[in-house]
Amino acid sequence: MSETMTPPAAPATAPPAPTAGAGRNWLKIAAAAALIVVLLLLPVLVGNGGVAYLKLAQYILIGAVGGIGLTLLVGQAGQLSLAHPFFLLVGAVGYAVLAGDPEESADLVGLGLPPLVAVIGAIVLCGLVGLAFAPVAGRLRGIYLGVASLSLVFLGLWLGQSLDMFSGGTSSGRNAPVFELFGFEFANSQPAPTIAGVAIQKQQRLWYLFLAFALMSYFLARGAVNSRIGRSWRAVRDNEAAATSMGVNVTRVKAGAFVISSAFAGLAGVMTALWLDLVKPDENEFTGTYSLTVAIAFLAVVIIGGLGSVPGAVVGATIVFGLQQFFLLGSQQFGWFADAQFGGFSAVVVSAFVYGAAIVLVILFEPGGIAAIGRRLTSRRSPDARSANGGDRTTPREDRT
Amino acid sequence: MIAARRAGRSALIAGALTSTLVLAACGSTADTAGGTAGAGGVITDVGVTDTTITLGIMGDTSGVFKNLGAGLNAGNQLWADDVNAAGGICGRQIEIEVVDHGYKADVAKTLYPQLEPNVLGMVQLLGSPVLAALEPNLIEDNMLAAPASWSSEVLDNPGIMMIGTTYDLEIINGLAYLQQQGLLADGDTIGHIYIDGEYGGNGLKGSQYYAQQHGLTINEAKVTSTDNDLTGIVTGMRGAGVKVIVLTTTPGQTASALAANQALGLNVPVLGNNPTFDPALLETPAAGALGNLYVSASNAPFSSPNPKAVEVTTRYKEAYPDSPLNAGVTTGYTEGVVWQNVLEAACEAGDLSRAGVKTALTTLTEVDSEGLVDVLDYSSPGAPPTRGVYIAQVDATAEGGLREVAPLFTSPEGESYVAPFQES
Amino acid sequence: MNTFLQLLVNGLGKGAVYALLALGFVIIFKATEVVNFAHGSLVLIGGYLVYELKDALGWAGAAVVGIVAAALSALAIERLLLRNATSADHNSLALLTIGIDVIITEEVVRRVGADIPFIGDPYDSQPIRIGDLTIFRTQAIALVVGAVLITAFLLAFRYSNWGVAMRAQAENREAAALMGIRSSRVTATAWLVAGALAGVAVLFMATQDFSGAGLGRGTHAIALIAFPAAILGGLDSTEGAVVGGLVVGLTEALSAQYISFEFSKSAVFLVMLVVLVIRPSGLFGTKELSRV
Repeated sequence: MSETMTPPAAPATAPPAPTAGAGRNWLKIAAAAALIVVLLLLPVLVGNGGVAYLKLAQYILIGAVGGIGLTLLVGQAGQLSLAHPFFLLVGAVGYAVLAGDPEESADLVGLGLPPLVAVIGAIVLCGLVGLAFAPVAGRLRGIYLGVASLSLVFLGLWLGQSLDMFSGGTSSGRNAPVFELFGFEFANSQPAPTIAGVAIQKQQRLWYLFLAFALMSYFLARGAVNSRIGRSWRAVRDNEAAATSMGVNVTRVKAGAFVISSAFAGLAGVMTALWLDLVKPDENEFTGTYSLTVAIAFLAVVIIGGLGSVPGAVVGATIVFGLQQFFLLGSQQFGWFADAQFGGFSAVVVSAFVYGAAIVLVILFEPGGIAAIGRRLTSRRSPDARSANGGDRTTPREDRT
Repeated sequence: MIAARRAGRSALIAGALTSTLVLAACGSTADTAGGTAGAGGVITDVGVTDTTITLGIMGDTSGVFKNLGAGLNAGNQLWADDVNAAGGICGRQIEIEVVDHGYKADVAKTLYPQLEPNVLGMVQLLGSPVLAALEPNLIEDNMLAAPASWSSEVLDNPGIMMIGTTYDLEIINGLAYLQQQGLLADGDTIGHIYIDGEYGGNGLKGSQYYAQQHGLTINEAKVTSTDNDLTGIVTGMRGAGVKVIVLTTTPGQTASALAANQALGLNVPVLGNNPTFDPALLETPAAGALGNLYVSASNAPFSSPNPKAVEVTTRYKEAYPDSPLNAGVTTGYTEGVVWQNVLEAACEAGDLSRAGVKTALTTLTEVDSEGLVDVLDYSSPGAPPTRGVYIAQVDATAEGGLREVAPLFTSPEGESYVAPFQES
Repeated sequence: MNTFLQLLVNGLGKGAVYALLALGFVIIFKATEVVNFAHGSLVLIGGYLVYELKDALGWAGAAVVGIVAAALSALAIERLLLRNATSADHNSLALLTIGIDVIITEEVVRRVGADIPFIGDPYDSQPIRIGDLTIFRTQAIALVVGAVLITAFLLAFRYSNWGVAMRAQAENREAAALMGIRSSRVTATAWLVAGALAGVAVLFMATQDFSGAGLGRGTHAIALIAFPAAILGGLDSTEGAVVGGLVVGLTEALSAQYISFEFSKSAVFLVMLVVLVIRPSGLFGTKELSRV
C-alpha cells in the first residue's frame, strides 16, 4: 500500500463562476429554497395516510447524516473506514443512557438528562471514542486502515452483547427516550396541531427534527470543507510529506477527521434510535442495524455520491437507503416482487443489485460519482464555470469552492 | 436486564392504557377517534367493515425463517378459508393482508404504518426482533397480535395473544420428561446452548428453574443466530461432563451441535424446543446424528395422530403440494382458531373495535383447538395460557421428520414455575 | 488437556483453509496492489456450481468445474471490469470489488436460498477417532491439501518463470515491463490462481465439519475472517498468509473456549489490530516508505 485514499474528484460544489455571477447564483438559491419548501411540506404532501413514506424519508436522512460524516473522512481526509456502524451504535446507546429515565429499571443505567443535552452528549461521546481510535488510525493507511476499522464493528457487537446495563442487551434492547425540546414532546398527543388539515403527530414531528439535524449537518460539513480544516484534510490526503512541509500537523489533522466523522455517525445513531423507537444491539455481524451490511451501505453512499462531496452523500443516501425501503413499500402496495417467496427477486435483493451495480458503474465510468455528473451538467450550461473548473478536465484535483 | 426493560415498558403500557381511554382506538396519527356502530349494532373502528374483518400477517417468506413462515401463512389462510366457507364471523368474511419483512426489524418498522390502518389485529407476527421493534407501535395502536414467537418475556403487554405455551416451559417440561425416562439424574451437569435474544434467554430461564429444583449445574454457552459451527462449544461441554445438552438455537445450529455430539463421542440426549428443528435437516450431512434430539413443543408435530392435526395437514398437502412440511402449518391454523374465539366473543359483546377484541381475549378461559395445542386460558394476565407440551423425537420416516413420543403433558415443575410477569 | 488438544486440532484444520483464502488475497495484491473484496463471492461461485452439478457430474467432476469456474470468474472480474476502469487507483479498484461482491453474494444466496445447500463432500461428517481425540476428516484433508498447494505455490513462486515475473512485477512494475515481462499476463495468472484457491477452499468450507452449514451468507463471512489472516501476515507476504491463517484459526478456537464464544470473532480482529499497531504492514509485510 503505497498511497493513501485519493479520491479522483472532489470539489464539494461547483466553484463559483466569477463572471456568470449573480444570475446563476440566484437560480441556485431559488432551487435550493424550493427544495427546502417541498421538504418542509412533505408531511402535508403525503398526508396522514402516507406515514410509511414519511418513515422512508426519515430513513434517508439518517443515511444522509451518516454519509456526510463518512464522506468527510474517506473523501476529504483520505482515511478509509468501515467502522461507521460502530459509531452509530455508540450514539444510539449513548443517547439512551444519557436521556434514559433512571427510574426505568434497576438494571439499566439511565441518567435522566434532558433529551437535547443527551443528543449533544451522545455526539460528543462518539467524537471521544473516535479520538481513542485515532492513534491506531494514524498509523495505518488505505486498505489496512479499512480492515482495521472493521474490527470496531466486531467489537461493537461484542460490547453490545456484554454491557447490557447500557445497551439493554440483544434480547429486547431498551426504549429510546422520547425526544423533547423545551417541553414539546416528539410523540403523539391529543389534540394534535394540524397543518392544512394534516395532524402533526409523532412521525411528522420526527420528520421536522430529522430535517433540522440533516440541514445542520449539511451546512456544518460544507463549512468545514471550505475552511482551513478542509484544506488541511485534503493536503494530508494528497501527500502527507508535502502537508508536513507546509506546516500541517498530520497526526492531529487525521485524528480530527476521525473525531468529526464519528460525531456525525453518532448523530445518525441517535436518529436511528428515534426512528426505531428502540435501542437494541445486533444479534449477529452480517445483518442488523449496526452490522457489516450497514458499513458497506455507508461506503456505497459516499462512493456513489462522489468521494468527498457533501451534496453527493445526500444523493447517495437517497439511492442506497431510500431504494430498499421504497421497493419494500412498492412490493407491499403494488405487489412488486410477488415471486420473492421462494428464491425469487425480493425487494432486498433487487436494491442490493442496484447499489452494487451503482458502485461498479461509478468507479468504472465516473470516479467522481454523482457529484461529478452534477458538476458537468451545470458547467455545460455555463462555459464560464467550465473554464473556472479547469477546462475540460473531468477529475479536477483542487477542492476549491 | 430483561425484567429491566420490561419494567419500563410496563410503565409505557400503563400510560398507553390510560390514554386509550381518552383516545379510544387510533391510528399512529390519531386523527380518528371512537368507534362507530356497524352492521348488527356492533361497534367497530379499524379493519372491520359491514362485510369483512381484515387481519394482518407480518411474516417472513424471504428471510431466515421462510420455510416456517410459509407454513404459518398457509395455516392462517386455511383457517380463514374454513371460517369463510362456514359463513364467516359476526356476519363478516375474514380477509388476511400479508406483509413479508424478511425477519428484519427495520423493514418491519417501515411496513407497519402501511398495514396498520387496514387491519383490526395481527393473526401472525413473526420474529422476536420484529416484535421487540414494533412493541411500542402495538401498544400505541391498541393492537391485538398473535406472535409467532413464544417468549414469556412479552406477556406484560395485554395485546400479546400467546398461542400455546412459552419457551421456558417447553424446556422445563422437556427436562422433566428426560428425567422420567432415566436420562437425567439430580445433581447432573447439563449444557445449554442458547441464542442471545428473547428466544434463547427465555429458554435458558426454563433450564435455570429446573436446575434449581433438581440441583443441576448448567454449563451455559451464548451464541448468535449466525454462528453455525458449535463444535468448539460441544468440545468444551464434553470436557465439563454434561449428561444432557439443551438447545435454544436455529435448526442449522441444532444440526451442528448434534453432529459434534456424535463425532466427539459424547452421544448424550439433546433437548430442543419448538424452533430448533426443521425437517430439512434430514437432508444434511448431520442427518445420521439427529436421532439424539428430543423436541419439546406446545403444538402437535406435523405427523401427530391427533385427528384435527391430520385434517389440517391433509388439506395443506392438497392446497400447497410443493410446499415444505413443517409444524408451522398447524401453528398457523391454531393462531386462526384462537382469533376466531376472540372475534366470536367480541361479537357477542357487541364490540369489534380494537379495544373490544382486547377485552374479549381476557374473557376466554377455555379455548379448545381440538388438541392442536393444549386448552388455552387467557384470563390471568402475564401468565402463559397453557403449560402443556408434546415431546417428539426425530424420525426420518415420519412426515415432517418428528414422531410424537409423549402426548400433551405438563410436569409438576411446569405447574409450579412462575413466569416473569405472572401475577400471584 | 483432552479439550485443549482437541481445540488445537480444530483450530489448525480451520487455519489451513483460512491460509488458502488469505493466500488468494496476497497473490492478487502482490501482482496488482488491489485488495480483492470479492474473494468471498468467488468462493460462493465455485461452491454454487459444485452444488448444482454434483448430481449430474458426480462430486469430483463438479468440484473440478467449480474450481475452474471460480478461477475464470476471477479472471473475468480482472479483464472485464478492473482493466477498464477509468481510474487506475488501487483503492478505487478495491472499492469496485465491493460492488461486485454485493451483487454476486446476493445472487448466489438468492439462488441457494430455498434449499439446504450442502455441496455433498464425500469426506464430510466422518470423524476419525483416536482415543479421546476426534479428527474431523474434512479438516484433516484440508490440512493436507492446503500444505501441498501452498508448498507447490511457494516453489513455483520461487523457481518458475511465472514466479520470477510476478516477483519482479511486485518489486517494480515499470522496471519489470522494461525487462520484457508482460504485466498483463502476470496479472491474469495471479487472478486465475487466486480464484482457483478460493474454489478449492469452498470444498472444505461448506461442510458440516467445518462451518456447520451449507453454502450461504455464512460461507461468505468465513472469507471475511480470512481478511485479518492476510492483513496480519502482511498483504504482500505469501509466507505471512500461511502464518496468518493458522494464527486466526487457533485464536478463534482457543479464545472461544477459554474466554468466551461470543468474544472469539472479536478476538481475531483484536489480535490483528494489536499486530497492526506494532507493525503497520503486518508481521511479514514490506514496510512502506513515505514518498515525497
